[in-house]
Amino acid sequence: MTGINKNNKCRRIRGWLSEATSRHFDPEADWLQNHISNCPRCQRRLVSYGKVNLALSVIKSQPHKLDLLMCANAQAIGVLKHSLRKAPKTRKLKTMLPEPKLLERCGKYAHSAANVAACIAILLLTKIGVFSSMDMFQTQGQKVIKQYYASRVGDDLADEIFPKDTELSVHPKNLVSLRKTLS
Amino acid sequence: MFGKTVSYGLLWDFAVSEAVSEDQRWILSTMLKHGQELITMLWRILGNEQDVCDAYQDTFLQLAHYEGGQKPEHVKAYIFRTANNVAISMLRRRIADRRRLSTAIFTGKHITSPAKELDSKYLQESLRGCIAQLPEHLRNVITLRDLAELSYTQIGRILGISAATARVYRCKALQILTMWMGKEEEK
Repeated sequence: MTGINKNNKCRRIRGWLSEATSRHFDPEADWLQNHISNCPRCQRRLVSYGKVNLALSVIKSQPHKLDLLMCANAQAIGVLKHSLRKAPKTRKLKTMLPEPKLLERCGKYAHSAANVAACIAILLLTKIGVFSSMDMFQTQGQKVIKQYYASRVGDDLADEIFPKDTELSVHPKNLVSLRKTLS
Repeated sequence: MFGKTVSYGLLWDFAVSEAVSEDQRWILSTMLKHGQELITMLWRILGNEQDVCDAYQDTFLQLAHYEGGQKPEHVKAYIFRTANNVAISMLRRRIADRRRLSTAIFTGKHITSPAKELDSKYLQESLRGCIAQLPEHLRNVITLRDLAELSYTQIGRILGISAATARVYRCKALQILTMWMGKEEEK
């Protein structure tokens, strides 16, 4: 059990470390850019690294014909055994078209989803902010009133009207009696 | 008597092969499940549609004949590794053919120019050439990670290594590719 926990902890720490390292060795980091601008060897290395990345991106961005999967399936099925060639699934395979992955399909809604999430977050923050401000305003107001009454009628009466355990809430009956006293 | 034995034998062979074929329906399911991913990987390695179809066919033919028609324990791992090997062999053959042809036509040095450097086809082909020259363990990781776009966990499962090792191999492969691509530029 302790071994499993230790492994999990190790895995988590490894993840953090790799994140920290990638942040530290960010190619855009100032210290790295400063060094590269003065070191011709590193400049060459960076150019070559960029070239590899560019080539990989170009390879990935090249689309193939839409019917490539269909053709490849038909060709592969053609060399399989007779009974497999006649199986009902082959018809589906021979007419199969590439479909985008679920993530790619949902990708087009990502922007709108992010907007909606941002709106909800703003609404929540506003709501929390407004209510907490109102609470604070009410509490401060009651404190001022208590101080006012304390200066006019004395601390004992003010404590009675604004008891501490009820968080400065004033009972209407007490207020009426106080007004009468003051007048 | 001998003729009868031969015909019974043929009948038996036919019955056995039919039974095996019935059991091999999983090949079609595999094709249905992983076909698209395989095609994407093969297309990115080879960049030629006819070669992709040939490599794909070879992969499934090898799968159908694996240990007398048995289903491998990890089908996905098997087909990805086989497809990778088949594609790299084809790529190497193609590069060798091209070199032979280019030495026959141009006896002088390679002509390099800024326009050629920016040529995306040239860039793709040089990277493919470099990938084909990588040691097998590094090449497998780079093709599965960068061309097939599988996760490190999936790569680890396919190649029988840990995800961390796959990460290290990819890093090493990128270093070598960077070095080779840099040298190619200097030529």
